[in-house]
Amino acid sequence: MKVIARLVLFAIGTLLLSHYLPEAYHLLVASKRARAPIIFYSCVRQEFLFYRYNEHGMAMVDERGTNYERADFEQLLPLDNYLQLLRDDRLPGEIAGVPLTPEKIRRERINLRVRPETMDTPMVPLYPLLEAENGRVKLEMPDDFMRIHHQVEFVLAASNAVDVAKSAKFTHAVVAAGFAFPPKLIAANATTLKPYDEGYFLVDQAGATYQLRMVRGEPDLKKISEVVPAAAKAQWESLNPKYIQVQELETHEIRCFLVGGDNRPYLVVGNDYRLIPLPVEDYEPSRDNLTIRGDLLNRLITMAREDSLQAVALNRDYTVVRRHHETLPALKDTTAGQLRPVIFPFITNFEADSTNYYGLFFEWGKPLALVVNGVLLLLSLAWLAFRKQLVLRRIPDLAAVAVGGIFGVLLLLLLPRPEK
Amino acid sequence: MFKSLAYKEWIKLRIYWGLIFLAHFVFCLFLCLQLRRVCKINDALPVWDNWLFKDYLFFRACQYGPLLIGIIFAALQFFPEILSKRLRLVLHLPLGEERVVGAHLLVGLGLLTLAFLPGMALLAGYASLWFPPEFLLNLAYIYAPWLLGGYAAYLFAVFTLLEPAWRHRIINFLMGAALVRLCYFPTNYDGYIRLLPCLALATAAAVVLPLLSVNRFGKGYGS
Repeated sequence: MKVIARLVLFAIGTLLLSHYLPEAYHLLVASKRARAPIIFYSCVRQEFLFYRYNEHGMAMVDERGTNYERADFEQLLPLDNYLQLLRDDRLPGEIAGVPLTPEKIRRERINLRVRPETMDTPMVPLYPLLEAENGRVKLEMPDDFMRIHHQVEFVLAASNAVDVAKSAKFTHAVVAAGFAFPPKLIAANATTLKPYDEGYFLVDQAGATYQLRMVRGEPDLKKISEVVPAAAKAQWESLNPKYIQVQELETHEIRCFLVGGDNRPYLVVGNDYRLIPLPVEDYEPSRDNLTIRGDLLNRLITMAREDSLQAVALNRDYTVVRRHHETLPALKDTTAGQLRPVIFPFITNFEADSTNYYGLFFEWGKPLALVVNGVLLLLSLAWLAFRKQLVLRRIPDLAAVAVGGIFGVLLLLLLPRPEK
Repeated sequence: MFKSLAYKEWIKLRIYWGLIFLAHFVFCLFLCLQLRRVCKINDALPVWDNWLFKDYLFFRACQYGPLLIGIIFAALQFFPEILSKRLRLVLHLPLGEERVVGAHLLVGLGLLTLAFLPGMALLAGYASLWFPPEFLLNLAYIYAPWLLGGYAAYLFAVFTLLEPAWRHRIINFLMGAALVRLCYFPTNYDGYIRLLPCLALATAAAVVLPLLSVNRFGKGYGS
């Protein structure tokens, strides 16, 4: 039993050290790193402009690296800086034949951010289904919350009881539409701070996408593949979305951002739910940060990851007009970053960028770390032999050094010797 | 022999346990009254809204309860044994070192469970009058790592207290603190669900650790 206890002590010790020691190392080698630039697309010059950060602060530059003064830079991005230009009386009357008015510019602005962790985040599975056509200026919160497992239920907040009649009505509508319970995905914008309500996008067990709204108290359920033009039907049927971010903007143009079962990102646009594949290369939803910004004339998609940045400018027909790609200095390229996976054979993290759930996330070291482990094991053997402690009871200690390398050596030094 | 040991522990701890149980239960009762107040003076909708979208949980005040109780309980159970070296006597019982330690820990963990759970059952029962089953699940998901933190704190406190040498006492304490910290990350809803099996395994495995300290204690290290 004492051997088991010692094994447990070394196992817990290795687990804890493999988390805390790399954390301490991270604090120790922390240094100022070059920040990723902020990218803009100039509708005046039809090229990308950048806020670039260096040791002197921020510089406003174009693709060729030419520096600009603030006022000149703002002039090249009139749709991003229209309020300032308006104040200085420098806002052009039109660009590319499109007349500019502040109200129109404001209305057409889009800013949509998709982070990996938002795709995997804890939430209580109770959803407010808003009345989409309530006859009021503003949307209002309902007095019940929807629950969907093997049926649709509405729980009244005031009485904490199920509204049987409403639940039966909605369940009937959903069953009649051929929905395969339970849903794999339920997505909405559960707020009243929006101009209208798209309701809920649901993905059933068969991978089919539905949109559920409540219109004057009645269920309004659409199977998307049945309301789109015939040419898009097959595409929607095979889409099997794994993530949906619903958008309710004043222009009603973009209905949602969606990641298909094949990890490809799309925008769903217009009344006919047109699927626009986003033209970014090598998108990995669990790793990449995606931003979709839009204005009166263009759409700008940026995709950032630790070591690279991609930008694609599109016109309003979603045709690519310009692309930009650059590599960024990553932590793993620094000397400290190179040494890290050699010193530590593995690192245990409890948080990850790809999720808001805690878990066990292992970062494995380089093969060279195994050589380091071997050397440390030999040194430990020699040291124990020198101290005349090379006995069978030391097997858990040596196993910890073989597996945990530096973690095992520290435990060997810190923990008491095994008893007879 | 086990019954006698358990009875000895009960005699030693019953007043303290009663006080801890009462304090925890009364605190949970106070939280129930606070919940009642919140639900009575507000409309149901904003209360649910705060729970669902702003992650307001009236029972978050319980967060460090299990941790404190675990440490206090370990101290109350083992300080007297160490101070007067009484532990040496029981270690010489024919039951054997491992079983003696096991019996003490079993009594301690049992009494801890009895101190935690009635209060939480009261909270869960009362909350179910106002909220749906999802809220009780929420309570279970959030409370589970705190509960594990309480057990881990108790076990590592025993491991530390029974260790005879100061240097190793400090190391044991730091190890316990490092493990318990993993139970106290800020979280909402089922954010811990993927880490719970690992924490539960580490806590369950830590039951054998006091054996190492007792063994060293029995051999007279540090004295």
